[in-house]
Amino acid sequence: MHELKRLLDDRCGSLSWQEAEPALCGYSHTIWLEVERLRCLARVLADSGLVLEFITAVDRGHGLELVYFFSRPAAGWRLKVALRTAEGQPAPSICDIYPVANWQEREVFDMFGQRFDGHPDLKRILLPADADFHPLRHDFQAGEQHDGDHFDLERD
Amino acid sequence: MQGVSDYMSGLGQAVAGFLGPDILALVLGLVLVLLFIQVNAMFLVWAERKVAAHIQLRIGPKEVGPFGLLQTIVDGVKLVAKELITPQPVSWLLFVLGPVLVFAPVMVPFVVLPFGPNLQVRDLNVGLLLIFSLGGLNVLAILLGGWASNNKYALLGAIRSVAQNVAYEIPLLLSAMSVVILAGTFSMQGIVEAQEGVWFIFYQPVAGLLYLIGAIAETNRAPFDIPEAESELVAGFHTEYSGMRFALFFLAEYTNMFIVASVATTLFFGGWRGPVADGPWWFLLKVYLLIFGVMWVRWTYPRLRFDQLMNFAWKYMIPIALVNLLLTGLVMKLVGAA
Amino acid sequence: MLRATLTDDTFYLNLGPQHPSTHGVLHLLLRLDGERIVECEPIIGYSHRGHEHMAQQRTLSQFLPNTGRMDYLAALMYNHAYCLAVERACGIAVPPRAEYIRVICAELNRIGSHLLWFGAYLLDLGGITPFLYAFDDREDLLAVLGEITGSRLTYNYCRFGGVARDLNQAFCDGLEAFIPKMRRRLADYHTLVSKNIIFINRTRGIGVVDADTALAAGFSGPCLRASGVDYDVRRAEPYSLYPELDFEIPTGQNGDCFDRFMVRLQEIEQSLRIVEQALERLPEGEVKAPAPQHPTPDPGDYLFTYESARGRVGIYLVSGGGRVPLRMKWQVPSFNNLSVLPSLLPGTLVADTIAILGSIDVVMPEIDR
Repeated sequence: MHELKRLLDDRCGSLSWQEAEPALCGYSHTIWLEVERLRCLARVLADSGLVLEFITAVDRGHGLELVYFFSRPAAGWRLKVALRTAEGQPAPSICDIYPVANWQEREVFDMFGQRFDGHPDLKRILLPADADFHPLRHDFQAGEQHDGDHFDLERD
Repeated sequence: MQGVSDYMSGLGQAVAGFLGPDILALVLGLVLVLLFIQVNAMFLVWAERKVAAHIQLRIGPKEVGPFGLLQTIVDGVKLVAKELITPQPVSWLLFVLGPVLVFAPVMVPFVVLPFGPNLQVRDLNVGLLLIFSLGGLNVLAILLGGWASNNKYALLGAIRSVAQNVAYEIPLLLSAMSVVILAGTFSMQGIVEAQEGVWFIFYQPVAGLLYLIGAIAETNRAPFDIPEAESELVAGFHTEYSGMRFALFFLAEYTNMFIVASVATTLFFGGWRGPVADGPWWFLLKVYLLIFGVMWVRWTYPRLRFDQLMNFAWKYMIPIALVNLLLTGLVMKLVGAA
Repeated sequence: MLRATLTDDTFYLNLGPQHPSTHGVLHLLLRLDGERIVECEPIIGYSHRGHEHMAQQRTLSQFLPNTGRMDYLAALMYNHAYCLAVERACGIAVPPRAEYIRVICAELNRIGSHLLWFGAYLLDLGGITPFLYAFDDREDLLAVLGEITGSRLTYNYCRFGGVARDLNQAFCDGLEAFIPKMRRRLADYHTLVSKNIIFINRTRGIGVVDADTALAAGFSGPCLRASGVDYDVRRAEPYSLYPELDFEIPTGQNGDCFDRFMVRLQEIEQSLRIVEQALERLPEGEVKAPAPQHPTPDPGDYLFTYESARGRVGIYLVSGGGRVPLRMKWQVPSFNNLSVLPSLLPGTLVADTIAILGSIDVVMPEIDR
């Protein structure tokens, strides 16, 4: 862990590590960082053998909070990496570093409308291609306008 | 003038002779054959379902008739009543021709099948050849049906079927040839006659095994059912067929199974001969036992992959069959010389 | 990308969403050269019901029945995982007897899930009979579980602070008969399937995923263990009773379809061991501790991971301090496991596609959520 910290500080500049209570929240540390440094961090983590578990986002109403969980599977040690993006601000894609990020980023795009720069095929994954909403955004209201008639099954 | 009138009267006699008891026997034979095909297929479908059920810890059909024996009739009625769906983009003539072509050839071999010493429609001296040549038509029908369906699954099924049938007909024929060398005739009755005393399976165990494997592949039954592999190709070449058109494919499959089992019985297991009281009962008993074996195999093994199937035929079965044929010829020559 | 006009001899085949072997509503857009796969694009989402959105609209208790409807083959495990996650976040204590019952049920559920997979996999490979054997066993299992849970598939048995009902005699009797029968059947399965030359030829060396690829692709569960990584959440981040129980983590070496098959069959045996141990040590006492009707975690985020039948389930709960969570992300194993197909399939045959897809053991409603 300390080694990883040093390596990260070396290559990506100093980062703020926050201790967390693994027995309560499931991860040991949180790193908050800016969008620009994500790829650098991901590369270091990949080089040190950490696995990307999943990517998700939280929308609290003022920009998105992207959350990445990395872990060292054998040790049961988990790291949360979080970053904020402003409305419409793209995040860098890390799917060339972590193949698993490919679908994960597509899901975040689908659910939150977050764009990822450098993703080879960023398109909807769970919702139909012609959906015009992102259901997990805070301003999304489930209602009639999204039911039934929205999806045109006859269309090619 | 004299010559012409002689010729005419000779022709008249020939036609009269043909139209006489001979044509009667032929028509009667054909009617019996058609009837037998239906009843036999119904019985086999029922038997297959019962065998499968008991292998799979189930009971199988039991509601319609005693032991569910009439279940197949009810299913047949359902199939007849079903709509004949012809999808828009098919090539209509070929699409309709498929099931007809698959069914027609399976009727003819019954003409030469020797059910008993006297129970045979015609004993042709090329009986075995007739069966194999008509068996070859089957693949044409499947190709037509699969191609005309304009469905990718059907097309893939048809391609697989052609490759498979071409590959497996060769060892089938080669193993049958070994028996023909022993018997010295292509006549089905003649082959049975030649097995007085010892069945050919004891002289030709390798050919017998090759024939049985080839026969399962030739009838597209598991583990060689790759042309219709339902978990890969939905229903293979007959994906687009419904109602009676599908039923004809189905009927043909079960009748084919009967034919290859009959040929196996004739070639290797002494036909209608038995330890006591030779007769058709022995023939039928052996045929149904063989079919039971084929069913048992089907409900036990998973499916081969296409390339493994082809490898097996070209790399193992055909060379072995060839060597076996060569040895048979050699031994017969030596025995003949001695 | 895939729909460009084709000028070569390849063609597209839409395998699914209605197809006998796509296990639900998976749609594989395949580009084929004859029978060889050139390109594959999985299209998912046909059974998307918006569970994560629903979770943001209701209290934690109200969401409990949803959990069983994600992975309908491991509903009890999802129940269990969700209850454990909420209990940990809200500090709800669980009586020991309840936890033992939960583990017994979860492991039985794992056996049921693996049995269904086993049958369906053989069906994919053209062997129809093992499917019915597996369903015969699973039927016994469902009857046993039905005795206490009251349902067969979409269980909703766990509660915050315990379980809904205590064990009864019928359950114990049924289980007593089931365990030895399952053992005999496992031996049968090995003779019937694992040693069958056709089966071995169909699965050995097919769909090989090495350990590094598996980790990078986000594999978990039996798929990852078949590649030789002995990662199991029950060991790596022990929860519930698992630290006290004695069981092994079966792994494979080659990461091919055959190894994935063997790992799952061995897991059935291990689950039987766990059930036996838990039954033996089952303490007396309450099965449900008092818990608030609508548990409310303190503001913050909580991640709980759980080993379901298909791999690691991650429940990421973000609370704003209210009764309704701000966000609930379900990280499901099949989602990552499936995402490897586009890189795994090219070059294989259609028949292999079915074999590989089956060996990954995807449950579509879990992926689509």
